Amino acid sequence: MNKTFAIIRREFTERVRTKAFLLSTFGLPVFMVILLVLPVVMMRGSDRTLHVAVVDATEGGETGVGTRIVEALERRTIKKGELPKYKVEHVIPGMRTIDAVRDSLIAQTTGEGPDRLDGVLVLPAGTLLDGSTEYFGTNVGSMEAMGELQGTISGIVTSSRLEAAGVDGSVVSRAMRQASMRTVKVSDGEVTGESGAASFLLAYVMGFLLYIAIILFGQQTMLSVIEEKNSRIMEILASSLRPFQMLMGKVLGVGAVGILQMAIWGGTIFLLGKNRGAIGSLFGLPADAMAAMPIPTIPTDLLVVFLLYFALGFLVYGALFAAVGAMVNSTQEAQQAATGVTMLIVVGFFGTFAVIKDPTSGLGAILSLIPFTAPFVMPVRWSMASVPLPQLAMSLAVMVLGLMAVVWLAAKIYRTGILMYGKKPSLGEVFRWIRA
Amino acid sequence: MSTPAVRFKGVTKRFAGHVAVKHLTMEVPAGGIFGLLGPNGAGKSTSIRMMMDIIEPDDGAITILGSEASARDLSNRVGFLPEERGLYKKMKVLDHLIFFGEVKGIARGEAKRRAGAWLERLGLGAWTDKKIEDLSKGMQQKVQFAGTLLHDPELIVLDEPFSGLDPVNSQVMKDVVIDLAKQGRTVLFSTHIMEQAERMCDHIVIIARGEKVVDGTLSEIKSEFGGRHVALGFSRDKERATRVLADRNLVAKVDDYGASADLELADGAEAEALLEALVREGVGLRRFEVVEPSLQSIFIAKVGDAGVAARSESEAA
Repeated sequence: MNKTFAIIRREFTERVRTKAFLLSTFGLPVFMVILLVLPVVMMRGSDRTLHVAVVDATEGGETGVGTRIVEALERRTIKKGELPKYKVEHVIPGMRTIDAVRDSLIAQTTGEGPDRLDGVLVLPAGTLLDGSTEYFGTNVGSMEAMGELQGTISGIVTSSRLEAAGVDGSVVSRAMRQASMRTVKVSDGEVTGESGAASFLLAYVMGFLLYIAIILFGQQTMLSVIEEKNSRIMEILASSLRPFQMLMGKVLGVGAVGILQMAIWGGTIFLLGKNRGAIGSLFGLPADAMAAMPIPTIPTDLLVVFLLYFALGFLVYGALFAAVGAMVNSTQEAQQAATGVTMLIVVGFFGTFAVIKDPTSGLGAILSLIPFTAPFVMPVRWSMASVPLPQLAMSLAVMVLGLMAVVWLAAKIYRTGILMYGKKPSLGEVFRWIRA
Repeated sequence: MSTPAVRFKGVTKRFAGHVAVKHLTMEVPAGGIFGLLGPNGAGKSTSIRMMMDIIEPDDGAITILGSEASARDLSNRVGFLPEERGLYKKMKVLDHLIFFGEVKGIARGEAKRRAGAWLERLGLGAWTDKKIEDLSKGMQQKVQFAGTLLHDPELIVLDEPFSGLDPVNSQVMKDVVIDLAKQGRTVLFSTHIMEQAERMCDHIVIIARGEKVVDGTLSEIKSEFGGRHVALGFSRDKERATRVLADRNLVAKVDDYGASADLELADGAEAEALLEALVREGVGLRRFEVVEPSLQSIFIAKVGDAGVAARSESEAA
């Protein structure tokens, strides 16, 4: 047993130490944080005060719509704080044409210094009538900034019209107050605080992670068997350990690396989902903006099911990949020989799409009872619908039985294959190895 | 007599199309250095791999250290250096040796201590934290050698231990092997380099085409083969010796090296008669010596024996 542990330890430490592992394991969480924060940062626009010139041709004087828009803009602050959102220059064209004034102001949007303008808002004479205004700016790409600017103007125009029609000012301001709606997802009778898109995303991401990880770690197992075969280190191992110990040590060692990586990734999503508010405030982002991000919250039970099925699934496929590695002599041969195993994985992966489409279908229940597809299908089902506990128990039991059968089979192939060199065995020969 | 370290009893191994080892029966006495000799393809490595339980014999039985258990179950008492060396290229030297120790059942701490000691002894102390792939081939071989001996085995099996080593490293390895034998351990090594075997081995088995052709201590083998060899050194008029050397009543076989020759006397012929004949012919002699046959000549005589080859081939078919 200690010998098996030595193999597990070697497989684990040698893999965990590689740059590729460190990069992928910790790179992804960093990437996820960036993915979470970046859109909010970008959508929020810039934090600085925008320098805007308002070309006012409405000729309304001190109480006209132009003046009121300027005043409304000057009242806006950044994030409801102290800093003014806009620094406004109120320009009355007077004797000059609007276009001339506008063009001279647009010329000021280049260069540096305090006089540089971010944009020019043009309020033509008919602003109150048809509501058509123009904005020429360097920041027109920011949907949020444009939306807010337009909202402010629109509100003033609307209330000015109402007041001109004789409606009381206080009534107008009460009537103009907008209704808002917060969207919250409910799962298992509990409020999760996630948006509807997030749960779909979670199912997809999980299916994908399982698919990639099992193929990747499975192939690593296979390649490391081939390496041992080619470097003939196999002879030293074979003279010290039983083939079964070697197989289990290798699969468990590589599997432990996989579990560690999945746990770090899954744990990151879990923590990000739970603490999105705190992370947002760390970057100075408003809590409501963070809540809208499609980062799913992972319930603890789902995390457990996910890791459990990844572990079982990897053991099944890892043992199969190891057996394939034992059969062949080179990586080129291996790709071809592993096609059968890869096909099983692909079937399982496509099964997840069927489940995502209809989480409560019978197909999902059947696929959960096949050891080769259950590792992919079951976690996805668990995330999308409530799976009855007896079904989970049944699926786990089948997984464990299937695992034992696969390991037994793989050990038979492994025992003979690891010391065979030369030509690739035919299927018939492999069957003889299994029977022996 | 103590239990032999290894005993082969009628061991046969067939591979597709040919018999690699045929009814091999031999005993490796406990203690001392045992040489398993033979030309390439004679079945040395196959015998060793069966001994180590890497492959199973088709027939016969192998007993290791007097136990019925397989070499794998006794692996904490057996050290094995395979013919084709293998190391994990990306692993660090010290880690690798610790791993070798661990799969032989040594606790990690102890394995680390011993690995450090071995690396110092083999002059690799400065390389402990280097990766295997950064080492020269000779150094890698020494690491592998240390890995074989790390768990202090009673029986050490080395398949072609000196192949590919430069003279300096070869000397280092030789000293370690001699040292192990002095400690009362059994060292079995295979080689096709006869000089090495002749200088080191107490007991020798030569196999050819899967069959044992010579078995015994070095002195037994030599005396059995006969002290009927003569080494000649010519100083002048070598051509005058031609007739004498061709006389089948005196000389059975000549190994002509130009300025010197090794002769095997014919049955019943005396060395004195040969000397007399050469002097009579007027051959200038620098050297005339009745010598023990070299292992090399025994090897060539035995392995070159066409009978063995023909027999094993007809039986393999």
